[in-house]
Amino acid sequence: MSLAQYGFQKLVLLNSAGYSRAELPLDDSVSIIAPNNTGKTSLINALQFLLILNKQHMDFGAHSVENSKRFYFPDNSAYILLEVLLPSGMAVIGCVGKGLSHDYEYFAYQGSLDLDDYRLADGKLVAQPKLIARLFECGKLAKIYPQADLRALLYGNRQKQRADEPDLTIFPLEFTSQAATYQRILTRTLRLDKLDSREVKYYLLEIFKNDLQDRNVDFKSEWDKSFADVNYDKSQYDAVFRNQSLISGMEDSQQTRLLLRGKLILWRPLIEKGLNDWEDYNTSTSEELRLRLQTLEEEAVALEKRHEMIYQDRADAKTALKAQQKIESHYQELIIQFQFVSDLAQLQNQRQLLQKQRDELMRSIVNAEQQQSQEAIARNIAKINKEKVDLNRQLQNVNNNLYLQLQKILPAESFELVTRLLSKSVLSLPVALGSAVELDDETAFHSFAALLASRLSANRLQLPGLLLDLSELEPNLFIKTAQELETEINDCERQLTELNSLLKTVETLTQQKQHQQKLEQQISELLVDEKNYEELLALKVGALERLQTIEALQQKLVLLEQEESVLAEQKKSILLAQEKHKSDQKELQSQFQRINIARQQRLDQQFPFTALEQLPHLPCMESTELAMPTLADRIETYNRDCQKLKQIDEQLNDHLSQLHRDGVSKFQTQDTAEQQLNALFNYTAQLSQEKEAIERKARSAVVQVAAILRDLRDSLETFKRRMREFNNKINRRQLSDLKVFKIEPREEDILVRAIQALISTSEQVESGRSFDLFDQNTMLDDKDLNKAKDILIKEGEARGGLRVEHLFRLVFSIAKENQTPAEFEDIDSAASNGTVLMAKLITGLAMLNQMQDSRKAIKTACYLDEAASLDQRNQRNLIEIAEEFGFTLIFASPEPQITARYCVPIATTKGKNHISRLSWQILENLSDTDK
Amino acid sequence: MTIDFTALTQLQPLFKQLSSGAHLNRLKDTELWVQLELYQSDYESLFAALGFVLIVDGRGFAYFKTELASAYTGKLTRRLALVIMLLFEYQADQGLHLFQFQQWRLDANLLDQLWQQYFALFEAEEINSPKTLAEILDSATRVGFLISEDNAYRLLPSIHRYLDLFVELGNAERPDQIKEDIKEDML
Repeated sequence: MSLAQYGFQKLVLLNSAGYSRAELPLDDSVSIIAPNNTGKTSLINALQFLLILNKQHMDFGAHSVENSKRFYFPDNSAYILLEVLLPSGMAVIGCVGKGLSHDYEYFAYQGSLDLDDYRLADGKLVAQPKLIARLFECGKLAKIYPQADLRALLYGNRQKQRADEPDLTIFPLEFTSQAATYQRILTRTLRLDKLDSREVKYYLLEIFKNDLQDRNVDFKSEWDKSFADVNYDKSQYDAVFRNQSLISGMEDSQQTRLLLRGKLILWRPLIEKGLNDWEDYNTSTSEELRLRLQTLEEEAVALEKRHEMIYQDRADAKTALKAQQKIESHYQELIIQFQFVSDLAQLQNQRQLLQKQRDELMRSIVNAEQQQSQEAIARNIAKINKEKVDLNRQLQNVNNNLYLQLQKILPAESFELVTRLLSKSVLSLPVALGSAVELDDETAFHSFAALLASRLSANRLQLPGLLLDLSELEPNLFIKTAQELETEINDCERQLTELNSLLKTVETLTQQKQHQQKLEQQISELLVDEKNYEELLALKVGALERLQTIEALQQKLVLLEQEESVLAEQKKSILLAQEKHKSDQKELQSQFQRINIARQQRLDQQFPFTALEQLPHLPCMESTELAMPTLADRIETYNRDCQKLKQIDEQLNDHLSQLHRDGVSKFQTQDTAEQQLNALFNYTAQLSQEKEAIERKARSAVVQVAAILRDLRDSLETFKRRMREFNNKINRRQLSDLKVFKIEPREEDILVRAIQALISTSEQVESGRSFDLFDQNTMLDDKDLNKAKDILIKEGEARGGLRVEHLFRLVFSIAKENQTPAEFEDIDSAASNGTVLMAKLITGLAMLNQMQDSRKAIKTACYLDEAASLDQRNQRNLIEIAEEFGFTLIFASPEPQITARYCVPIATTKGKNHISRLSWQILENLSDTDK
Repeated sequence: MTIDFTALTQLQPLFKQLSSGAHLNRLKDTELWVQLELYQSDYESLFAALGFVLIVDGRGFAYFKTELASAYTGKLTRRLALVIMLLFEYQADQGLHLFQFQQWRLDANLLDQLWQQYFALFEAEEINSPKTLAEILDSATRVGFLISEDNAYRLLPSIHRYLDLFVELGNAERPDQIKEDIKEDML
């Protein structure tokens, strides 16, 4: 044992916990030896009063603190004393009972613990009220400390100490704020209750708290805070985007409105002036029009009169002309009719001739009517014709006919008889070659004639077998002369003519009568002609004069027509002028009415028209001449424009409130609706930039949220690192037969991955990588991102905030040789009893060690009950491990544990336990003893 | 030991869910789970007093351990055990790490492939079509072994119960005996 080693030296109980006196060395490992239920645990628990101090943190197992107080402080001379070697020297911390209340108080002083200080000369213990005085007598400057002050003293909380206080820091913690945790772990370590992974986790988190940026992250509020702007902007963007067409319509309306306002501002004074001038204009113009119409009316009447006269004149002239023309044409006809008539006598002659013919015709008709029948006349004509043919033949054959031939050839007597035989016509036949009678052989005929003559005798003709008496027959032919013949022929002809004419007359009696009538008619016509001719002669005299008259009349007509056409034109133009004036008048009246109505309908006397100049507008550049006749149009247009402006006002207001209802609220902060509209239009025009801006904002929001999450994740990593260190610490020596004994963090996979997802998204955003990806699949709609967010929000809401402790759980990973590590949450079930005890002890010690300031090692004590369950190797290991962690180990068992340096049996006298310094058995290696 | 009932705000929903035989999952039933974490010992004692053994597994699930199994749950358990075992085998064949099962997405496609691969085994258990397969998973969803989202299932931490048993089964010398034990053990 090195003297230089600071730490607990001994624990002394006086009149406490059933001990009359107990002195326990604590500067090295101790084996308390006593049968069960002899106060081993009570002895150790006494330390709680000194080390834990805070009653709330004390733990006496089945016993309540009240009972424990009674047990430990039965009267005002009950002491629990601890001697500690500190860098400032030896010190004593004590706790003394205050009497019947079983209360107690703390005191401390610098100096070594001498039990005689507490014992009076009579062997009695010093009572609490006299303690300080007694100690003072003994040269110990003891001081009473309230519990809190003592705790500050022991745990090195210098801030709560006065400067002149001695340094009694027993537990030099790295962070004095961890005192409570330290106490709690210490309590547990002293008692080694059931230790599960959740408690270990809790303690370790406390221990490493200062390494972790472990603030409670209200993820939802962080998210909402970061995304409040983004979400708002997005909602605005969405709303505007939804209503883009409406807004563009509104923009047009606004443009129209500005133009209209400019126009109205320009026209308003002109309209006012125009209305003032209107009455005068109206009166003068209507009077003027009335006068003009009157004049025109008069002109029209005059023209009408003249026109009527022209009609009359023209009718007269036309009648006269027609009469003259008729006479003239009659004259012309007569001229043509009598073209070939030289004078009147010719006509008279012609008539007389015709009268003569008629008279003759009349006579023949009368004759014919008296004559025989038609057949008798025809017979006469045939008879005369035959006579005439005979005569002609005779005349023709007067020199060469059969009669003559026969006369020549035959004797006269014979001849005379032959002529009786032959007919006249045979006899008169011509003798010639080719004629009816041919005499080709005169000789032969002579012979024949002779024969014939022979046969003829005495008026008889004797022929063989035939006798013909010729006596009764007359000679047929007597030759006449040519002259006789011709006369006869002429007579015949004349008779024939007469008879033919007669026949004709008879035959054509009707015709003749018609002919007669015709003649009668011709005669009467001729009589008319004569009369006409006389007329012609009379007309011929006035022909020239008449032609002149006709011409004059025609000229007059032309003139009249010309005048008439001019008159028509004039009338037309007057009519037109009248119509024009009338329409002007009408127009004027209608304008008058329209203006009156429009004047009534004027809207510009009320707001906003009275204050248009103050409203935004576009100056109107139209030419601004106001002619009176256009006033009505103008004022109507003006009214319409006013109306339109009003409508646009209403419409824009409607649309604006519609947009408000649809969530567009971004611009409502503007002073006026107009400014609101302009802001809205500007925003809409830059929608794509706005979208980018929102994206940027969203990204920075993610970055912001991720920063918080990154703290969480970093804390987790830090914790894991610390856990590795911690595991190294507890694994420096093999623990029992365990090959592996680790306390390992197991991440809550889903949460950690959700955090990781958000962080990696933000890293992508920050590095600018996959920027395109973002644009396509915008972050605001990222499904995985949202899922991660939802998970974290849900978890955060259920736990009232996210902390690093929610991201993992701890497991005991335990394996013996040749085993794969198994994980346990509750170490009690993980291995054998002794092993579990060791594991718990080591874990507790390691945690306590972790909290201590390694620069100021002060050895304290820890306690292991049922130490017999560990074999010696393990006991030694444990002692060494405890040593390393700055603890001396106190084994408690019914049997001595020879691995400890001290073996301290508990003796019992008169029902009181007793441990004397003299009964301490110090075990030393022989080699050490040799030294 | 006294139990502060005012602190046990989720007693009713917790008991309702657990006593129906369903599993509580850390991520699915976050609020209930947090309650359990905060007042685990209280709940344990309370339920124990009522005759239920509450098991809270730090891997993120809790359930009532019971020896009783109705015919229905027995059948479902048997079938689900088969489906989950084959699923794990299939996924292991795909080179996936079994302990990351919470990240698997069990969509129709995966179920079809599972069916095609093991239809003989499935048919032996009267799972005659991928539809029946989906029905089993739906039933398992109701008792908190799976969650259905986005037209797919995800395994919940409570599947660890099966996985633990499969591992045990893999280590066991007499698988048949253990399999019987499993059946009795579940639900």
